[in-house]
Amino acid sequence: MKIWGIKFGGFGFVCVEHVSRIAMRGGIVGTMALLSWRRTPDAGRERAGSRGEAASRPAGFEDLVLPLLPSLYNTARWLTRDPAEAEDLVQETIVKALAGFGGFEPGSNFKAWIFRILRNTYLTSRTGLAARSTVALEDEIAASGMPEAAKEFATPEAELLRLSDRAALEHAMEQLSPPLLEVILLCDVEEMKYREIATVLEVPIGTVMSRIARARAALREHLTTRGLRVHEGGASR
Amino acid sequence: MSEHLSAETVSAFVDGELAGDDLARAAQHVAECAACARRALSESLLERSTANAGHRYAMPEGFEARMQKAIAAQQNVPAEASHPSPAGRRAGWSHASLWGGALAAVLLVSTGGYVAHDLAMRNAHSSALVAETVDEHIAALAAATPQVISTDRHTVKPWFQGKLPFSFNLPAALPQDVTLDGANLVQLDGQPTAQLLFSIGKHHTSVFLRERDAVKSAGEASTIQYAERNGFHVEGFRSSAIDGLAVSDADPARLHDLALALEQAQGAE
Repeated sequence: MKIWGIKFGGFGFVCVEHVSRIAMRGGIVGTMALLSWRRTPDAGRERAGSRGEAASRPAGFEDLVLPLLPSLYNTARWLTRDPAEAEDLVQETIVKALAGFGGFEPGSNFKAWIFRILRNTYLTSRTGLAARSTVALEDEIAASGMPEAAKEFATPEAELLRLSDRAALEHAMEQLSPPLLEVILLCDVEEMKYREIATVLEVPIGTVMSRIARARAALREHLTTRGLRVHEGGASR
Repeated sequence: MSEHLSAETVSAFVDGELAGDDLARAAQHVAECAACARRALSESLLERSTANAGHRYAMPEGFEARMQKAIAAQQNVPAEASHPSPAGRRAGWSHASLWGGALAAVLLVSTGGYVAHDLAMRNAHSSALVAETVDEHIAALAAATPQVISTDRHTVKPWFQGKLPFSFNLPAALPQDVTLDGANLVQLDGQPTAQLLFSIGKHHTSVFLRERDAVKSAGEASTIQYAERNGFHVEGFRSSAIDGLAVSDADPARLHDLALALEQAQGAE
């Protein structure tokens, strides 16, 4: 099996299956299946909070916020790493958002708006304040410090094996610095567009782009390092 | 063949963030370059995997109900309860005066009771003012644009002419990394107030300026010097004519620098 000059060998069926799944999700099937890798709007993107949500009737605060509670809690839990603190963070976010809801422009992006409040509330929380110094340091990390792009990627087979270990991936995400973790949560988990992420984080889109690339490089590095450790540990036994 | 795609471009390509020529260039390169095709595939696999792994924490049992209750509780609280009206507040202070009179009789026995009561009233009022100030700041954060958008003090200050019963000065030079973003006309504690919007670095900041005489005549004995609420820092300052409150989630030291600049500017010109 050869796709774009890559021989997948014995693991070809896995790759084909995966690419097909992606292609089906993307809705583009054909010779340019590659384009189907790119994220396309889906049902998740059009959940409450997206543009046009209040087209039929003016949505109340509760209508808008309740569908987002699982996302808000999940994000808060990742950021605070503590269940009680996550609950407090979401509750404080909701209280602040409700207080400022009069200033929210109907029809604009509620999800980005409330995630921005969540993020600002987190940054001024006890845990967030501790993370702030990391934010400053992170901004100083030069993108040039990243590994050479062509060398950093394992074969798709190895990649799949690593990524199938969900616990390893969760562990890798836990190792991310807060600024990198938050872009991964907003981009990959919440499926926000870069423009929306820039609104939440109050940074230029260029910064969002570089942080996402750095976050994924860091994840890959954590997974590779862990994989090597496991492999070495297994060999030594 | 064109140069390899940068890490940012690969990410943007996989995330569907490229368009037009950028997309065409990236797609063509990926079609020709096995290394970049592998990177794009790897990026896509990683993105899908993190999306799955990231949905890690489900809401605890009863959490949604608790949030609904919290929303309902806040929505059912009349505005007057959370932010007493000026009239109500004045009545409260008259009441305090009566109490003060009664306590004055007891003063012969002990002055402690009155002092404690007076302090309690002041603290309660200061707390309500801090809450209202933070709420106004949050409302400004939520608003798409301020009522006047300008980084020029010569635009912002004149905008208030005829809108406020007092005038104020803006500093000629702001502290480092502080910019003026615009302003709003708001009511704070029942007083017409200039809400000046600044950025301290990336942190949005509001500075509320009110007429000192009006604040005094309202019976307000605000002595807010510094407070914290919902993660926001509130610093009070005053000149002979202006009563100010600065609110931000920025570093308190930097907020103080801005408050100081505003305070000093009131004596200038």
